[in-house]
Amino acid sequence: MDAENLEKINDLLEADVAIKENIKEQVTEFDRKTRALSGVLNRIHSTRPEQIPALLDSALPTLESCHETTAALASIIPANQFWKWKEMWSNSLRTAVFSATLVEYLQRGGLLSLQQVADALGIKPQWQDRFALSVEDYLHGVITLVNELSRLAVNSVTLGDFEQPIRISLFVKEVFAGFAMLNLKNDLLRRRYDSLKYDIKKIEEVVYDVSLRKLAPSTKQQA
Amino acid sequence: MTSSSSPGSRDSVLRAFESFRDDLDDHNDRRERIIKSSRDITNLSKKLIFLLHRTVTEDPTEFDDRVLGQRAAARARGKLIEIQSLFAALRDELVGDRFWRYQRNVSPGLQEYIEALSFAHYLEHKTLISYNQVQSTLTDRDGVPYFPLPLEDYLLGLADLTGELMRFAIAAIPRRGGRQKASDVCGFVRACKADFEGLTPYFKELRKKQSVTAQSLAKIEDAAYTVVVRTSEFDLPPELLDDLVAQTIVRAADHGNFGDESRRKRGREYEYGMEDD
Repeated sequence: MDAENLEKINDLLEADVAIKENIKEQVTEFDRKTRALSGVLNRIHSTRPEQIPALLDSALPTLESCHETTAALASIIPANQFWKWKEMWSNSLRTAVFSATLVEYLQRGGLLSLQQVADALGIKPQWQDRFALSVEDYLHGVITLVNELSRLAVNSVTLGDFEQPIRISLFVKEVFAGFAMLNLKNDLLRRRYDSLKYDIKKIEEVVYDVSLRKLAPSTKQQA
Repeated sequence: MTSSSSPGSRDSVLRAFESFRDDLDDHNDRRERIIKSSRDITNLSKKLIFLLHRTVTEDPTEFDDRVLGQRAAARARGKLIEIQSLFAALRDELVGDRFWRYQRNVSPGLQEYIEALSFAHYLEHKTLISYNQVQSTLTDRDGVPYFPLPLEDYLLGLADLTGELMRFAIAAIPRRGGRQKASDVCGFVRACKADFEGLTPYFKELRKKQSVTAQSLAKIEDAAYTVVVRTSEFDLPPELLDDLVAQTIVRAADHGNFGDESRRKRGREYEYGMEDD
């Protein structure tokens, strides 16, 4: 290899190494924030319904602080290299998606859209080719949301909230119907989607228990 | 999104997932197309490599390295253009931020192409093709690249080249001037291996290929040694000496592969001159 070629190679390499290190730094920070969010939100399983809004409010600042991280990442990634680097922050991002969608469900009972999640995390459309919320990352976050809600269905009853499981059941079935429309390959997304049926089964059992014992208000009081 | 489970919210969820379906279908279809194209590229590149080997070993009357090299390069030109046009056809699929999404699918074909390209380049120039030179073959007439050449694919393609050079050197030994040629190749591969060594911490695949290269290098060094030792025992006319050398090489080659990975890649059809095009 001649000197010029070696130099070219080293330049390319050094550029990539620098980017990787900068991303790592941000991802560590991102991770810290998403873990903090998870920690706070985990308390919903032991918090009475009337205290949930306050709990959620305490999580909002951390969610908001993700804006700095996403902006920092967007500034590190060179143009058109989103897909080159995204695996480095995927996990943290999916946890953030889960947190944002969970807060929305608990506050307003609906599913936060992909665009709304991106906005909540401060992800700007003009970063599209550098830093974005991919469909796959969004879907993984939503699946985690369903996993969490199946657990909440059980624990709500324990805390004396007999309506929550019914609401969860209707919500999760909607989400599942959405997933059923996708043509998935045999990858992790497919496997996690397949496991949703166990979550649904669990939720249905809770609904059954609650309805059978006439613990829940009658269905016509919904919607 | 409308809140709580109502007919309106169900609709908007379904509509959202419909657009996800379109998005994922689009992506998967594109990936399939790229994989197919990459396979075609791999195919053509492998055939080109066989052609190059044949060109430099088939002619029993030609011993001038430069002539053989030019001949190989001339035959390669058309085939290389054919492969490059396949890459050109892919450029829309790989435009903008798409390239890195599908880089993994383009990679196998790209590395095979670089192996063939660099082999032809070596036969003609006796040098290692540079990164910029490779990128320029994947660039249109206006100087716009079809896609950015990943450093990893460039290096891994070259690492495979050393395997072909080993085969080339072995095939050359029994022919007139072959021992010198083998020695030249040996030195060249040693230099390549040394250059790559510094880059292995950054590319895991490269580390694996380096060990394959090391095996190939050791084999030809052993063969060259055996030849020197055996021929020194005799005071024979050159033709008989060449026969002796040929026998020695066949025996040495029988004792192992020139890199397990290369053999697995090439498959049974690659026995010198016995494959069909």
